[in-house]
Amino acid sequence: MSDKTKSTSLAGRVGGVCLLALAVAYGIGGSRIEYAFASDPLGPRVMPVALAIVLGILCLFYLRKPGIAEAFPTGPLLVKTLAVPTLIIIAVLLLEPLGFAASIFILTAGVGWVFGAPLRKALIGAAGHALLWWFVFSWLLEVYLPKGTLFG
Amino acid sequence: MMKLKTGALVVGMLFAALAGNAMAEPAKPECLAGAKPGGGFDLTCRLAANSLLEAKLISKPMAVTYMEGGVGAVAYNHVIGKRGSDGNLITAASSGSALLIAQGKFGQYDENAVRWLGALGADYGVLVVAADSPIKNLGELIEAYKANPSDFAIAGGGAVGSQDWMKGAILAKAAGQDPKSMRYVALEGGGAVLTALEGGHVKVGSGDAAEMVQHHTAGKVRILAVMSPERLPGELAEVPTAKEQGVDIEWPVWRGYYVGKDVSDADYNWWVDTLNKLAETPEFKKEREARGLYEFTLIGKDFDDQVKSDVARFKVLAKEAGM
Amino acid sequence: MNLEYLWGGFSVALTLQNLTIGFIGCFIGTMVGALPAIGPINGIALLLPIAYTMGLPPESTMILLASIYCGAEYGGRISSILLNVPGDAGAVMSAIDGYPLARQGRAGEALMLSGLASFVGGMIGATGLALFAPLLAGLATGFGPAEYFVLMVFAFATLGSMVGSQPVKTLIGCTLGLMLATVGLDATSGAYRFTFNEPELGDGIEFVVLVIGLFSISEALIILENQASGFTVIRQLGRMIARADDIRKSVGTALRSAVMGFVVGVLPGAGASVSSAIAYTTAKRLSDTEGTFGKGDVRGLAAPEAANNATACGAFVPMLTLGVPGSGTTAVMLGALMLYNIQPGPMLLTERPEIVGGLVASLFIGNILLLILNLPLVNLFARVLTVPNWLLVPGILVLSIVGVYSTHASSFSVLLMLGIGMVGWLLRKLGFDMAPIILGFVLGHVMEINLRNALAISGGDISILFQSKISLVLWVLAAAMAALPVFLSRRAKKRLKATAPA
Repeated sequence: MSDKTKSTSLAGRVGGVCLLALAVAYGIGGSRIEYAFASDPLGPRVMPVALAIVLGILCLFYLRKPGIAEAFPTGPLLVKTLAVPTLIIIAVLLLEPLGFAASIFILTAGVGWVFGAPLRKALIGAAGHALLWWFVFSWLLEVYLPKGTLFG
Repeated sequence: MMKLKTGALVVGMLFAALAGNAMAEPAKPECLAGAKPGGGFDLTCRLAANSLLEAKLISKPMAVTYMEGGVGAVAYNHVIGKRGSDGNLITAASSGSALLIAQGKFGQYDENAVRWLGALGADYGVLVVAADSPIKNLGELIEAYKANPSDFAIAGGGAVGSQDWMKGAILAKAAGQDPKSMRYVALEGGGAVLTALEGGHVKVGSGDAAEMVQHHTAGKVRILAVMSPERLPGELAEVPTAKEQGVDIEWPVWRGYYVGKDVSDADYNWWVDTLNKLAETPEFKKEREARGLYEFTLIGKDFDDQVKSDVARFKVLAKEAGM
Repeated sequence: MNLEYLWGGFSVALTLQNLTIGFIGCFIGTMVGALPAIGPINGIALLLPIAYTMGLPPESTMILLASIYCGAEYGGRISSILLNVPGDAGAVMSAIDGYPLARQGRAGEALMLSGLASFVGGMIGATGLALFAPLLAGLATGFGPAEYFVLMVFAFATLGSMVGSQPVKTLIGCTLGLMLATVGLDATSGAYRFTFNEPELGDGIEFVVLVIGLFSISEALIILENQASGFTVIRQLGRMIARADDIRKSVGTALRSAVMGFVVGVLPGAGASVSSAIAYTTAKRLSDTEGTFGKGDVRGLAAPEAANNATACGAFVPMLTLGVPGSGTTAVMLGALMLYNIQPGPMLLTERPEIVGGLVASLFIGNILLLILNLPLVNLFARVLTVPNWLLVPGILVLSIVGVYSTHASSFSVLLMLGIGMVGWLLRKLGFDMAPIILGFVLGHVMEINLRNALAISGGDISILFQSKISLVLWVLAAAMAALPVFLSRRAKKRLKATAPA
């Protein structure tokens, strides 16, 4: 138990440092915004720089007392957690070449499997998803979705 | 000279008409609006889509699709990058697009990266004051500005460098002031300019005729000058042009279309031909009027020249203004 | 009082298209509310882009979103009663007496009774909203850039009540939202900020991309982690008709709770979770003479249900009259208006009466529809609870992708959504709340522009921010709002501790 809280307060600290780094990068980026001239006294740079300073100060408070954080997943759960965004990326990259229905099938089958469905059920469920959503969006609502370029 | 030009035009049109018969109409006509539904690009697309169908120049309805981003920049890049040879697709543009191209805000591409098809209508810039303002004409406005430049907030529906800002900058220059020190208030569109005028938060508004005319007739604001070559018809017939009042400025906001660079000549000519036919139909004229646009028909080569000269002119203007 | 707008609103809401939309919204909302995994904000986030790309007019979209919001407040009770897991934040207190009732085999009665309580709450809330909405419309033209800026300061001050136990995290979230709002074309100077030469970022981060990323993607990952803990659904509903005796007993409680819920809803920042807690504890204090609360007392169920529905309606008051969101959900709805280029604020009622009127009228209609839906069809919604996650989550992801892809037709925005979702998940693991980010994003843009425009008008003279009466009143209110809710939430927490030892 004490191990867990230790590691989570460490997670909070790492998060705080990342946010602090974001504040610094954002502030530097903000002070370098290019513009010809502004018609108002503040211009486009003041707000970002001010926000960077505010975030920086808040981060210092946060780093001093990161508070409660949940434990991050490890082991197989971490793999599963990372599998979900990976599947989304794959589906998005395949969206235009394969078309909506096919890439949605891959996504829903993969995610269903990650969420613990037996492979056969996941595949059947995915077929259902692909059919249902294709019907709803392309046919019922006429939302533009790619049909796929690979099959003409 | 004039005769020769008309002659060439007639021959060209005959040619186009002849060729047009041989050409097939696009299988899936589509108009891309580089903004949200309801904006200016949408209006431009609907003008073409509705009137083409009503005049029976296309047999299938023209789809209007949307791709917002960067005031048309995303659509511009999309057409160039992905649909450069798609003869089905025309994309809405306006003089604002030319302005952004001139300022290098359309990404890496310039005005030569697409084929300019034609303009079917225009709106014109106006300067307005609140109805209870003591200022009655452009001359008084310039005098009032000269007298007290630091107390003169001008509102427009766009950022520094936008068309509304440019119109304000021209006013500032006419009053002998540096546009850079102009107190310009960038609001979101004409409605916000109207509210700011009514609430007395700003003294002058810069906008377009079509959106201001109803408020002018309703007595909420007074249009001081229209930036057109001649007086506008209809309800604004009594408002003098800027030129009449001694300020040499025209600001047409044309609304037109372009197609991809690699669209075949056959397809391009079909569109040119069809737009030329369209511009003559009563269905189109009704549709144009319904959308608050004034006559401004410029198709094919002439339009291409207009866009290129606009871009060049805007580059000079932006430089003069210190952008 | 001028209620002209409301009658106009009924003629908007009663068209066949808007009735259908309202019905669909109520149905989806109840379903979304019933599912413990997703709340009203997810439902709205998922359906907003689809409504938008379908080209629905703004008033229809607002009707859809409002119906989902109210529907979710109805639906939340179903899983509270049957699972002992609240379907959304407002239904937490409904489980205290609802679940024991279900275990006594009286689930059907509990569902009907809570449905009726929800209806009472919703109708009273909608009536209150209808009366309140036109109150501030007269001030409209007095609002210039300076006044808007102070209004936004006021809106941020109301965040005080959302601060909760971790004020630093809330403030960081809010700042992150403000930072995200600076991305894109600067509306004043025309400069591109933080766009990294990517034309798709030219207009800034799309609201839909942000909301779906923060709420749906991160939610999917959280569900994945919480999979292990299983629930047991009570399937025996028992008799479906509530006893007349119980109804009679609860009427007073429901009415009182509804009024309290509405008032809490009007206060920006305090949401359904606060109001249902206050309503429950008050009901317990007033009526619990025999110690039956917490063991299946019908009044303990009626109180929070009437309150949370009234709160949902009350939350529309600051949103529609001032353009100030009172909660994460209303922040998303404000963002939806902005998608249509409609600037929410005091002039909304004068300029677009059909939107305000249509929305208010649709709440009355929606509550009737919801009552009809929820009494006979409650069985159907109860069955929704048995949809396994492996089937549900892929569906959420598909809706997310379609929603984002359809507004831009580009893979870039989907990947951006995914990136935002991953960061949102990391932040949630660190104990950050997502609502302040949305609030900061929605308000930040308006705040910066109006400050800069005010200063452009005055030529840099800050005194313009303190000149008008409206500004001064808003400054005072802002100061009060920043202080008051901290005090209130402390009190509410103390009471909560006293009543719910778990």
